[in-house]
Amino acid sequence: MDAPLLAIENLRTYFYSRAKRAFIRSVDGVSLGVARGETLGIVGESGSGKSVTALSAAGLVSAGPGVISGRIDLYSNGARRNLLDGLENYARITERDGRVMEVEKDERGWRKRSETLMAGVRGKEIAMIFQNPRSALNPYSTIGKQLVETIRLHTSLKGESEAKERAIHWLERVRIDSPRLRFDNFPFGMSGGMCQRAMIAMALSAEPSLLIADEPTTGLDVTIQSRIVDLLAQLKTETGITTLLISHDISVIQRLSDRIAVMYGGTVVETGRTAEVLAPEARVRHPYTTALLASIPSAETIRRKSYLQAIEGEVLDTIEVPRGCRFYGRCNRVTEAIRENCAGLEPPLGEVAPGHKVRCWLYPATGKA
Amino acid sequence: MKLAAIKPVSRVLARELGITALLLFGVSVVVFAILYLAPGDPLNVLLEGQSPRSELALGMREALGVPRTWYGQYAAWFGKMLQGNFGNSIRTGLPVLPELARVGVYTLTLTLGSLALTLLIAVPIAVHAAAHGGTAGNTAATLVAYVLSAVPVFWFGYIVVYVFIHQFGMFPLISGTAAKQEHAWLYFLVPIFVLGIASGTLSEMIRHLREELSRVLAEDYIRTARAKGAAVWRHAFKEGFLIPVTEIMSAKIPFLLGGAVIVEQVFNWPGMGRMAWQAAQDRDFPVIMGIALVAAAFVRLGNLLQRVVFTAVNPRASRE
Repeated sequence: MDAPLLAIENLRTYFYSRAKRAFIRSVDGVSLGVARGETLGIVGESGSGKSVTALSAAGLVSAGPGVISGRIDLYSNGARRNLLDGLENYARITERDGRVMEVEKDERGWRKRSETLMAGVRGKEIAMIFQNPRSALNPYSTIGKQLVETIRLHTSLKGESEAKERAIHWLERVRIDSPRLRFDNFPFGMSGGMCQRAMIAMALSAEPSLLIADEPTTGLDVTIQSRIVDLLAQLKTETGITTLLISHDISVIQRLSDRIAVMYGGTVVETGRTAEVLAPEARVRHPYTTALLASIPSAETIRRKSYLQAIEGEVLDTIEVPRGCRFYGRCNRVTEAIRENCAGLEPPLGEVAPGHKVRCWLYPATGKA
Repeated sequence: MKLAAIKPVSRVLARELGITALLLFGVSVVVFAILYLAPGDPLNVLLEGQSPRSELALGMREALGVPRTWYGQYAAWFGKMLQGNFGNSIRTGLPVLPELARVGVYTLTLTLGSLALTLLIAVPIAVHAAAHGGTAGNTAATLVAYVLSAVPVFWFGYIVVYVFIHQFGMFPLISGTAAKQEHAWLYFLVPIFVLGIASGTLSEMIRHLREELSRVLAEDYIRTARAKGAAVWRHAFKEGFLIPVTEIMSAKIPFLLGGAVIVEQVFNWPGMGRMAWQAAQDRDFPVIMGIALVAAAFVRLGNLLQRVVFTAVNPRASRE
């Protein structure tokens, strides 16, 4: 990968459940890279760990006894910094017979360390937009004030009036009509789509290196969803901003991302160029990706009035992770030849074509696995 | 305050003042009815030792100009009240209003002082607990605060009196001479301390503020604030601090006034509570009516403050 901006290496984000005396392995060994200028889409069902991956990168994992390990390297201004540097030292895990007995975490130290690591990164280098934009904006403050706050925090514009002009400029760029009037509006007076536009304007107004869009279309009306996707596509060509896009909606990912990572049960099961991975005639495809694709209503399924394909079975329980392939329990393509492997051994993420990796026993890696 | 917020605030203010006037009228009627229907006659105080049904009593009534019917009595009081005359105390003969103003200052000092003290203790505990979760330190502090709040205020008062006055003899318990004594300032601070700690407000304030603040800190927009690198407290302040604090303050004023009656008795504090106590025993109708109205007005003032803050802060409330 050329000129990476963000490199996630073997990220593990676990939450400790006291009641069950076990870790919930939300993210379990994820490695991803986002190159400068590209959009990486992460897709997966709820609970696949895609959002937690994003929150980990933004330093927003706060839930009490959570443990994070691995590296998240951010390359900016010619320097590399690990956003997780030293965080694992704040938690001590006592294990016995493979079961977690106790997690001792110095939460204050952990949080302090995290704040130090993220200082100058959050908002400035990594900006984020969320789902449910109405509740993600401060209801007690006008749109304009919230934008001006971001601009004065992160850009060289410190004056009130010049920041205001810049804020209005950004409201125009996200195609909010009559931005001067909207500037003084409170979020409750605006539609969900408008709020998401304002969120996007706020995130971009800091001129960040990386935009993390965590389910940006979730919680919006369907028609508004496609409008927001259009806007994101336009802004991508206009600004060329590097984006980490997270969505459970594979059609949104297909539309916006250059590369794609399919996540299941806290791991990446397939990654590659979007065009390649999602190509209709693709020869190699992870069974989970196939299932996700089959769940999109296509013109074909609508014309034939056939039923949408739901993915059988439950989303993986990330506490009792199986020994074999995580998708084994729901997979419909297990053959007798590989069954033993599928049940007992986790497949590696093998490269099946240049840049295209699949975690499945069906596809033995062409290169060295 | 922004210019745009002044209009809704003045509207709320006008409405609340209207409600206050109606409420005070209602309070005066109810208190009057209770007094009228309650056994006992204020004139008994003046006619101590003599038969209340005697000619003397009737003559006295006529001499004082007390109307015979209940509505006549109320109307007479109401008419004078509108002119700012709350009548004279039956016991002392002094006009009620100046007397109320004199003792009211003491009660105001006591209740507002204790409210400030409660805030001073509750806010750091609650904010710390909301921000950091239950640590050993703030859990212990909360526990102590809860126990103190559960202690009856009169009992706590007597303990303090016993320890500081009888054991150590630090200051006298007589209001008039207190100013000349060495530890005179203690005489003012100790009742405030007792009411602030033991009135039961402390625990409620900690709980309400902690709950509201931690709810707000978990809101999506606080996560957005963190994500954009802004100061979280600036975003959480209005909904997570200002609104709950004014809410709990306005809700607790009646309890503070109730506690003040007791604390004033215990500490011989020359305030409205003690005056009310005395007046109730004497059936001193004009004084009781006056105190009831002033207390009701004070409670309404708290509500008013809360409504105004809420309207000024909350954009949804200002655009109804």
